[in-house]
Amino acid sequence: MSEVGDRIKDVIENEQVVLFMKGTPQFVMCGNSGRALEALRAAGAPVTTVDILPDPTIRQELSAVSGWPTIPQVFVKGELVGGADITQELAESGELRTILEEKLGPGYGDGAEEHVVDVLSGTRA
Amino acid sequence: MELVTADLEQLLRAAFPEATEVRVSDRTGGGDHFLVEVTSPRFDGLPLLEQHRLVNEALAAPFASGTIHEMRIKTKGTG
Repeated sequence: MSEVGDRIKDVIENEQVVLFMKGTPQFVMCGNSGRALEALRAAGAPVTTVDILPDPTIRQELSAVSGWPTIPQVFVKGELVGGADITQELAESGELRTILEEKLGPGYGDGAEEHVVDVLSGTRA
Repeated sequence: MELVTADLEQLLRAAFPEATEVRVSDRTGGGDHFLVEVTSPRFDGLPLLEQHRLVNEALAAPFASGTIHEMRIKTKGTG
């Protein structure tokens, strides 16, 4: 696996909540990515986003790791939750909060910050 | 356009012969953004992730060919 693939695995394993999306929270480039981001924000999740657009390798390596064909993809504690439809559905039913509480602990939303990881350079902001 | 939605419905019916409802709608009228709805007893007790995975698998070919640019999935069990 390439360096990018290793970084993708790293992010999935080490960040609490990861959203692989098209664009960034500041510049969302796809409605589905926006829906997933809003659903996570509504649940108070500490979201780390990864923009898959800068290089096609990111998307290829991600789907190879996750086995999921489409973008966005949401992971909580290393486990794939789903795409935009699933994340939105779970947020609306309240299940997303339950999942976050179970995996991250009841205080998961306290001081939750958003981060952006660039898997090409390895930087985290 | 209608041809595409009919084709997709056919693929889904073949993958989910037991489904009580299969509906594909063209969300934008452009023939490449779809809403796919499947209700099947096979989804009973199955996590949402696995339900969507089955739908993705059923439509892998039109996805790979670009016939489907984007789709939304709504699955339901019958239980």
